[in-house]
Amino acid sequence: MALFAVVGHWIPLPDPREFDIDASAVGPFSPGHLLGTDAGGYDLLSNIVNGARTSLLISIVSVGLGGFIGSVLGILAAYRRGRLDYIINTTFNIMLSIPNLVLGLALVAVLANNADPAIPVNPNRRMFVIIVSLTIVIIPILGRIARGATLTWSNREFVVAARSMGMKDLNIVLRHIVPNVLPAIYAVGFLAVGVVIVAEGALSLLGVGIVDGLSWGAMIARVAGEFEYAPQSMYVPVLVLALTVIACNQIGDFLRGRLDVREGKI
Amino acid sequence: MNDLTFKLLAAARRLAQLLVVIVGSTFLVSLLLQLLPVGLKELYVFALDEAGRQQQIQALHLDKNPVMFYLYWLWDFVRGDFGSIVYPTGVLDPVMPKVTAAMPVSLRLVFYVQALALVVSVPLGILSAYRAGRRSDRVISYVLFSAASIPNFVFALLLASFFGVTLAWLPPLGYVAPSENLVEHLRTMALPVLALAIPTIATYTRLLRTDVIAALREDYVTMAASKGLSNIRILFTHILRPSSVTLFTSAALNMGALIGGTLVIEQIFTIPGMGTEIGIAIFSRQYFALQSYVAVIAIGYVLFNSIVDIAVGFVDPRSRDRRNG
Repeated sequence: MALFAVVGHWIPLPDPREFDIDASAVGPFSPGHLLGTDAGGYDLLSNIVNGARTSLLISIVSVGLGGFIGSVLGILAAYRRGRLDYIINTTFNIMLSIPNLVLGLALVAVLANNADPAIPVNPNRRMFVIIVSLTIVIIPILGRIARGATLTWSNREFVVAARSMGMKDLNIVLRHIVPNVLPAIYAVGFLAVGVVIVAEGALSLLGVGIVDGLSWGAMIARVAGEFEYAPQSMYVPVLVLALTVIACNQIGDFLRGRLDVREGKI
Repeated sequence: MNDLTFKLLAAARRLAQLLVVIVGSTFLVSLLLQLLPVGLKELYVFALDEAGRQQQIQALHLDKNPVMFYLYWLWDFVRGDFGSIVYPTGVLDPVMPKVTAAMPVSLRLVFYVQALALVVSVPLGILSAYRAGRRSDRVISYVLFSAASIPNFVFALLLASFFGVTLAWLPPLGYVAPSENLVEHLRTMALPVLALAIPTIATYTRLLRTDVIAALREDYVTMAASKGLSNIRILFTHILRPSSVTLFTSAALNMGALIGGTLVIEQIFTIPGMGTEIGIAIFSRQYFALQSYVAVIAIGYVLFNSIVDIAVGFVDPRSRDRRNG
């Protein structure tokens, strides 16, 4: 399933925007349309594959970026302690106090705007805004994990030993702390990818996501009101989305299981 | 320092922390308005003559800097004035009545979901833990893992299409107030609640299962068993009490996900709650209203979590000692 999620966007397929007038709302496994088409005659398989690019790009970029910034801040806070730690931790708490979908929704709604409501926002800019917003949502989640992990590691004997031998702080962090904190970040990062894919879908359903139909969320949003005409147009993207999220969670859970001794035993 | 002053100090510290977070998050939301690519004046000032313009700008505090703008908003907010929806005619439609109308609907939805989730997941989690490793446990675990991964709007759409349209057992959308018709109320709420509850049940059950398995390995449980206490007694006094702490804490944390979930679910099922109001505010570009809605949600979420935190302290003395020590 993870493989599918990764390779998905390199399979070449016909233009998803092309629609087949003769084959509107045909069922799965019909000639020329392996998974069928939706009520507008769009090929579902091609949409899924090309939508994967958008959906996965959004989720991987925002989790990667958010994870990086969050980890840097989290490690910095936990290693330095003191006032800086208080400021960063409070900021994280403040950002976490707004439920993440609400925060993402507010950010996208505010940032993806034009002076004239009649002119639609450029899709590339919209995508950029969505990535930025979801990155902001991810930062405190992963930042907190990084902070917690660093706190436990920075008091370990080998770190204290390294410090007493006069090793520079930057070296200690890079050599001794980062390698130990990273697995925890990876594990939660995969879970976060799942969360972001879902968030992208939810934003589309709320009408502020990708609108031109090239993401899974947009596919679901487009057919949400009319699925009785072509049920497969609903089930296909929904199942693909669910399977991808399950795959991400499985990887994340596996990694976490190996780290977390308590749950790992079970 | 004696015990009482210590406790009071700790409580004061908590309260201060809470205030910092609430002020911070509402300020963050207020800053968002400054980030709008469109000027607030262009959006909300409609008067044609200069005098009228100035008056409107002052009424909406748009001539202030971001900090003052926030403080004015906060002062109004504390006094129960949640800002207004500004119509192009210059007419102001206060937001407060909308919040008081929408809030109970959303709260009801969230309450039903949490209640259903706890009622189902507690026995399921215990059952699964007692049969840990057997086939029935593995099947339950796998199904739950998948269910926890599937987003709630997927369930919502599938449930609406299956029970609402194909079978036509339940209304696929709409909302009826309980005071109007209780049976219809429950019928309209059934699908949205189910859609939100399935992933929640899965999360709670998995958590409880892990916790109960860990508790079963504790020495004090073996001790209790060797004293000859009945299984039921051990379950309730030695296993469920510590496990319930984790469960309630995560139920409180899960409120955030649920609130986010209701945003989408309310729109799918056209339930007139906070999610729908937020959607309307976004589409009609009413950012003052949006600011207050998000602030209400954030404050509610923070308060709820603190209350649960304190409640957990009563149930589990260990966490109390840890915090004070």
